[in-house]
Amino acid sequence: MQPVNKIAQRNQKYIFSKKNIKRLNQQKYLLLMSLPFVIWVIIFKYIPLWGWTMAFQQYIPGKGFFQQEWVGLKYFIIMFQDNYFYLVLRNTLAMSILSLIFGFTLPIVLAILLNEITKQTFKRMVQTISYLPHFVSWVIVASLFNKMLSIDDGVVNNILMALRIVEQPVQFMAKPNFFWGIVTFADVWKEIGWNSIIFLAAIAGISPELYESAMVDGAGRFKKIWHITLPGILPTVMVILIMSIGNLINIGFEKQFLMRNSLVRDYSDVLDLYILDYGISAGRWAFGTAAGMFKSLVSIILVFTANGISRKVAGIGIITK
Amino acid sequence: MKRTLLLILVLVMITLAAGCGPQVTGTQPTTTPAQKGASSDDTAPADAAPEPITFTMYNVETDAYPDTDFSSPVAQEIKKATGVTLEIENAVSSDAGKQKLSLMAASGDYPDFVYGKGDLSILKNVNAIIKLDDLIEQYGPNIKKFYGEIDIKRLRWSLDDPSIYYVGGKEVGQENMEPNAGFQLQLGAVKALGYPRLRTLQDFENAIRTFYEQNPTLYGQKSIPLSLLADDWRFMITVSNPANFATGNSDDGEWYIDIETLDAVRHLTRDEVKEYFRWLNGMHDKGLLDPESFVQKYDQYKAKIASGRVIALADARWEIDEAVTALKKDEKYEAVYGYFPITIDESVKFADFQSAGYLGGWGMAITTNCKDVVRAIKFIDWMCTEEAQILTHWGVKDLHYTIENGKRVLKPEVKEMRNSDPAWQQKTGIKKYCYPFPTYGNAVKDSTGQYFEAFDTLEEIAARQLPIENEVLSHYGVNTWKELYPQADEFPVKPYGAAWLVNIEDPEWKAADDRILKTGYRMIPAIVMGDPSEFDAKWAEYQQALKDAGLDMVTEQFNKVLKERTKLWQ
Amino acid sequence: MKRMSAADIIFHTFNYLLMIILMIATLYPFLNVLAISLNNSIDTVKGGITIFPREFTFLNYAEIFKTKALLTSVIISVLRTIIGTFTGIISTAMVAFVISRHDFIARKAVTILYIITMYVSGGLIPEYMLIRNLRLTNNFLVYILPGLISAFNVIVIRSFIDGLPFELQESAKLDGANDLTIFFRIIFPLCTPAIATISLFIAVGQWNSWFDTYLYCSSNKKLTTLQFELQKILLSAQSSGQQDIYGSSDLAQKRVSPESLRMAMTVVATMPIVIVYPFVQKYFIKGLTLGAVKT
Repeated sequence: MQPVNKIAQRNQKYIFSKKNIKRLNQQKYLLLMSLPFVIWVIIFKYIPLWGWTMAFQQYIPGKGFFQQEWVGLKYFIIMFQDNYFYLVLRNTLAMSILSLIFGFTLPIVLAILLNEITKQTFKRMVQTISYLPHFVSWVIVASLFNKMLSIDDGVVNNILMALRIVEQPVQFMAKPNFFWGIVTFADVWKEIGWNSIIFLAAIAGISPELYESAMVDGAGRFKKIWHITLPGILPTVMVILIMSIGNLINIGFEKQFLMRNSLVRDYSDVLDLYILDYGISAGRWAFGTAAGMFKSLVSIILVFTANGISRKVAGIGIITK
Repeated sequence: MKRTLLLILVLVMITLAAGCGPQVTGTQPTTTPAQKGASSDDTAPADAAPEPITFTMYNVETDAYPDTDFSSPVAQEIKKATGVTLEIENAVSSDAGKQKLSLMAASGDYPDFVYGKGDLSILKNVNAIIKLDDLIEQYGPNIKKFYGEIDIKRLRWSLDDPSIYYVGGKEVGQENMEPNAGFQLQLGAVKALGYPRLRTLQDFENAIRTFYEQNPTLYGQKSIPLSLLADDWRFMITVSNPANFATGNSDDGEWYIDIETLDAVRHLTRDEVKEYFRWLNGMHDKGLLDPESFVQKYDQYKAKIASGRVIALADARWEIDEAVTALKKDEKYEAVYGYFPITIDESVKFADFQSAGYLGGWGMAITTNCKDVVRAIKFIDWMCTEEAQILTHWGVKDLHYTIENGKRVLKPEVKEMRNSDPAWQQKTGIKKYCYPFPTYGNAVKDSTGQYFEAFDTLEEIAARQLPIENEVLSHYGVNTWKELYPQADEFPVKPYGAAWLVNIEDPEWKAADDRILKTGYRMIPAIVMGDPSEFDAKWAEYQQALKDAGLDMVTEQFNKVLKERTKLWQ
Repeated sequence: MKRMSAADIIFHTFNYLLMIILMIATLYPFLNVLAISLNNSIDTVKGGITIFPREFTFLNYAEIFKTKALLTSVIISVLRTIIGTFTGIISTAMVAFVISRHDFIARKAVTILYIITMYVSGGLIPEYMLIRNLRLTNNFLVYILPGLISAFNVIVIRSFIDGLPFELQESAKLDGANDLTIFFRIIFPLCTPAIATISLFIAVGQWNSWFDTYLYCSSNKKLTTLQFELQKILLSAQSSGQQDIYGSSDLAQKRVSPESLRMAMTVVATMPIVIVYPFVQKYFIKGLTLGAVKT
């Protein structure tokens, strides 16, 4: 592989050199295979980016591009001067990081533990059942959690009272500092099975011969996990981690929106809901677009930084191997 | 790298060209309404069998049970009479409707009819809806008769553009037949307490406390004295609105409007309202407020009510309806609620029945894309006829109602269906084509002296009352809940309609308005659940937060628009 | 079968116990939904239903199957899931293959071009205008084309291809195979576990999506999907009260669909896709055996 790369670098200088043309000819199938998808991505993902101009306009739907009133950076300034923006940013990052710590690692643990189960039928049963909550909407999940954590005959308080851990029922949902934890817990519980699928697939891709030879060497269970399973899924883990870091700021708002209540609003409001409320819902297209651009910028910086670090530390990246 | 960039650039150019191509050809030349109408006018004289035509319509109201394919019996009758088939698309959610209107405006793909509520201006801004004045003059004798000279003024757009762009979707001649708002107390409690006088918040509190002390449990579970609900926007219904009502205002959303001067202020800034929350704060302090009031979700709240153990509420009828139905099904009649017009003191009247006059502001518009404007206006004109109004309110003769002694009588199975089947409108078509089409309210009679309203007439409501309701009411010397309340004629008619129908287009205003509302969502629960000694300080803090959120700008603009509207409507 | 050591026994006991707890915790919400869907809708309001219905009834389901648009919407949903998954996975894998090739000239450019798409969006109006100008509104293709490839999936499959020995491709080339043949004959079959996973992701995404129907096909009853019909009922229940603040006089006309009915709808709409998973699982095992063959 190395030599090919070097040739490629050398050839960059002369676009229409003989070698390059020859190389193009050699790669005609690769070009043929990628061309339609390059066209596709440009049409469907890049052309709509003209919409970013809206961030600088007092955009009114239906008016021509040149009939719109241009307002410059007005909406960026409004956003950065809004104290509430920093509050929602704090909440967003806090919950995203929690979700990265738990929502990302626990599915890997689950996949590894599942892999250790020898009874195939049992393994499949666990897989299928743990993936079910993914299909239950957040409306239902939020309502379940509210009931379980209620002081009015909620199951959690009943257990805590019975075990004499607390004397008075605790109103979990009314405590602002519990909110991030509760949302993260609910999220992990809902998505753990679903998110483990990809790691199970990665484990399935590890050659069984590696395990067999380790067995011959007399390696124990944990050694095998540490020396074969984990390195085997590391590329998958790393690329997903990098892409998730890029998404730290794109938290969505459904779960927070449905689980919050008036008493915890200072800890529950997140960026995406803020953008919806003060953007499109109010008819402020410019504000929504400006906030979207800010998010994109943050994401791209994050993903390329994470990629750079990962390449240095683990030798794995999402752009090149 | 350079080469690939070049390649990409070329591709961008190609695709841009491809992408823009249809856009140019996509804009169709717009024909003027007159041109479009001319042809159909000749081919469809009024008395011949009407030629079939399909009109598309977008309605920002959601509808879980749409009359797909215009196939209900009522729809078929409409088609028979007018030749019109309606293809109605409803919004998926209330936010989605606005989104759709914006996309329509951006793309120019309008349907024939649009019902856009307060967001119709999105289409009006790009001249997508047509002026109706001349069309109504020429083709709409029934429309003119339907709205009358006073109400039709309330359909005008604005002082700057005082033409008519929509026909009103709200009922003409609507009166409340039963209280929609008020303070609710279980009938069993009213009875056990010996039918006490329930007029002020203090009376209400005394009743709750006494009954709560006497009944620590109800139906085998811990009883709850007073429960509120603050689940997102429902905050407005059971936390904010009751404060406005208890201080004597009728339903003007978050506003208090002085009927003399027409000066509007956010009601949550008023001193009287502060006293209401002081009372709530006291209720919490005395242990008479459900500690889950600001935490619970709507389903938890409904479940509590449906279990029969919530003694008192401060809610709107529609919000507790489902739970009360469950109570009735379990025959827990003592846990059903009575409605009381309770205010902060005796000098204040509960204004639930104050008349707003005709509620203009929202209505159905015809767009510039309409296939046949004349047929469209003639269709609306037909919907305004007595024949059409009876059809849309009562259904099809002999199928849904019969005529006995010259009076319309609903078939019992239709009545039954309405009470038990959530899809009854879809199946029969009854009431499906009332709102948002031109429709008579429950106080209007037809030429034979019968009400257009088929279901919720005063007699029907009285007949539905439970025996225990009758018993309780008789002890207060009245026959219906309505009679307990101050009547409509005790109040002046509001010259501006209802404040929540005042549309302000400015996005900055909407954003600030939302911020102000949510400041309340955030801070009021803490005030109510706080220590009474901190109440004044916290309230002052809340008032400051409102100012920081843009209260002055929001109030000023609202007053300007409100006054303009009142002027326009006179 | 070897004899198990004490450590193994402890590990397995712990592991099995953990999995059983996980199963109980994750099965509960589904059973709860099922129980509510089988319960009398008025009785449901009282709450307190766990995993058994209190007043058993099939009426909620009967109501759903009476919905007029149901049959068309199921057909469209199935079609878009099958066609969308098939075209999606081939395209995704093809892009992944191309950018996995270290010798490919435009590799870095194409990769970056795709990665950026994960984090940028032009917004609602520009996207709508594009779809409209491409004449894709009220067109079945709108379910397939705009969401054909997701960059996330591309990167995941590429990381899988990266794990395969490159010598396989080189030796195939020496045998005279071109890149297209290599992709279809070697790469695609060897990636079965990843292909199966991503196919599942695409299929679930296709089955669950309703927003595109709402934006682009909502006025065409022939192109409505099951999830869209479900959302109409779910969302109208959520927002109906909100409208009622603004129109109390039409209360009687606005009946909210009861919770039980909504739960029944949830069951009807999720069941088909939920039962797909066990079929995909077997490819994780198959992938393993294929993986054994490859070296």
